[in-house]
Amino acid sequence: MSRKRALISDAFNLKKRKNGTEQFGATAAEEGPADIKSSLEYLMTLFPRKLFNDALPQILLKHQLYSIHSDKTLVDKEVVRWILNLLMFQLGFDAEAFGLVFTSDYKAKVLAGEEGKTTRATVERFLEKVVSACTDLSFTKDKMLKEFLFTDSEITQLVKSGVLTVRDAGSWWLSIPNSGKFTKYFIKGRKAVLSMVKKSKYGEVLKAEIEERRTNSQVKFHMKYHIHDIVGAELVESIPSTSGTLLRSVDS
Amino acid sequence: MLGFLTARQAGLDDPLRLRRAESTRRVLGLQLNPDRDVDRIHGNGINTIDIEAVEGRYMLSGGADGVIVIYDLENFSGKLQYTCKAVCTVGRSSRYVHKFSVETVQWYPYDTGMFVSSSFDKTMKVWDTETLKPAEVFQFEGNVYCHHLSPIARKHSLIAVGTTNPKIQLCDLKSGSRIHILQGHRAEVLSVRWSPRYEHILATASADSKVKVWDVRRASGSLFTLDQHNGDKSKASSEAVNTAHNGRVNGLCFTGDGLYLLTTGTDDRMRLWNSATGENTLVNYGKVCNESRKRLQFTVSRGCSPEFVFVPCGSSVAVYTLHTGELVTMLRGHYNNVDCCEFHPDYQEVYSGGKDCNILAWVPVLRPSDVEEDSDHEVKVKGHNNRKQ
Repeated sequence: MSRKRALISDAFNLKKRKNGTEQFGATAAEEGPADIKSSLEYLMTLFPRKLFNDALPQILLKHQLYSIHSDKTLVDKEVVRWILNLLMFQLGFDAEAFGLVFTSDYKAKVLAGEEGKTTRATVERFLEKVVSACTDLSFTKDKMLKEFLFTDSEITQLVKSGVLTVRDAGSWWLSIPNSGKFTKYFIKGRKAVLSMVKKSKYGEVLKAEIEERRTNSQVKFHMKYHIHDIVGAELVESIPSTSGTLLRSVDS
Repeated sequence: MLGFLTARQAGLDDPLRLRRAESTRRVLGLQLNPDRDVDRIHGNGINTIDIEAVEGRYMLSGGADGVIVIYDLENFSGKLQYTCKAVCTVGRSSRYVHKFSVETVQWYPYDTGMFVSSSFDKTMKVWDTETLKPAEVFQFEGNVYCHHLSPIARKHSLIAVGTTNPKIQLCDLKSGSRIHILQGHRAEVLSVRWSPRYEHILATASADSKVKVWDVRRASGSLFTLDQHNGDKSKASSEAVNTAHNGRVNGLCFTGDGLYLLTTGTDDRMRLWNSATGENTLVNYGKVCNESRKRLQFTVSRGCSPEFVFVPCGSSVAVYTLHTGELVTMLRGHYNNVDCCEFHPDYQEVYSGGKDCNILAWVPVLRPSDVEEDSDHEVKVKGHNNRKQ
């Protein structure tokens, strides 16, 4: 589509505002991938699979994407567009923290975990019918009984196997089996990284420097994973500077 | 710029286009200007400001000490350096002054002969500007958080009042009656706003995390309640059904055309809603720091091409693009928390008041004056103008 009239924003060079959008030399090297899919894949590589003995699929949080891409609304829209290949989970510790897992990964890991268990058949049916078809985060009893034709005992089996978690009487969240360990390590690691930033002189630290630091015993994940998380969740302020990005702790 | 002017002249472009382009450019260039100042009268924090709609010349401000001040914003001195002088004040010495802090002030929408103020001393007073005496005093049982008069009403002259009582009272200016009540909220009502598009539509925000939209002609309850998950019951935990925010909702603002409604809440989020359907447009503004226990007064620009929202965020004012949620800039200058801000549509200026007892004027940066002295400076200036094309 050719534009006969220039956009107002182009005419006044509105994109090149002075306050805070200039790219300084050192940060140019960190330019992430331009589209959502590649940044998803990049973030997935940061997830430590060995830590959980390969039992968990690679999980990342939606707000980690915000730290790579500046336009949050666009990221949200893209995630919704991808919803067939990507599953979103309520992680429980924060009302706004959504975990993202690739559907194929999720299915593979859950089935692998169900090897030799009596609940395997039910879980397989659940994965095929429900996970492939609908993209909800939670299910109510009515829906399970009527739409998907699961009986009460089958629902109990699903909860036992970890695929569903109780939300309140008569409704369940979709969940990842054995993700309790993940949540525990994640929260501990996040707290540890935040205190690292807070304890630094002036409460701020260069992003490149903290990524190089030795992780203490509390932090089990890759530093970069945690950095993306705290920047995306706006628990620290990310300030571009001449020596690179600076992370400053937010006093709240 | 010259391109826009020529296009307008030749009829290629609508006249509105040039106006919008220039307004947008001015809003993007907002800065604290050492030449523009507002008289410092308040001894305590400033809770609310309002600029009159008729001429945009007079500004009202209400402070935490109960004092109300009227300023003249117009610069007739001919000099660049200008202090907006206080024209008159309802000070502590006045017999009729509010006993506790003034929470909301608003000019009568049709002329500056009258203004209405409401305060934590549980009264709302309708003042005569000439004599600075209240023509009418409405008494309430609880602290009055906010009130609003419809800016476009022709068929009614109702003032919607939000107090600690969950029922919203509608007071009639013409008759002084207050029998009309809107029931539906479960906790104190922190903000009320009439729609600038339809004179009977009212939006109210409450500490019970709900925002309700009412048609005051309807006898039976609200039109709809805003739901942040757009009816997708799977995303919410069950207590969060039909709530606009995950905390108290303390700020409401309609856009200039009345088509969208913005709400802010203590869950540090700001949401944009379609005001006709109540649908959450899911624009993600990120974390909008909000710790206010009372109403937060924020404002939307009018007449610009991407509209901008000015939200007080701690001790600065954050400027976001309305429909994309991008943070454009933070206006820093206050020494303490900012409580209120107001946009002047004719001059694209923003006035903000805060706990540091200052009202700051954010003025668009003027073009630097051309110096035609030496040749290489001319080249620089020409190059500058070419880029602006």
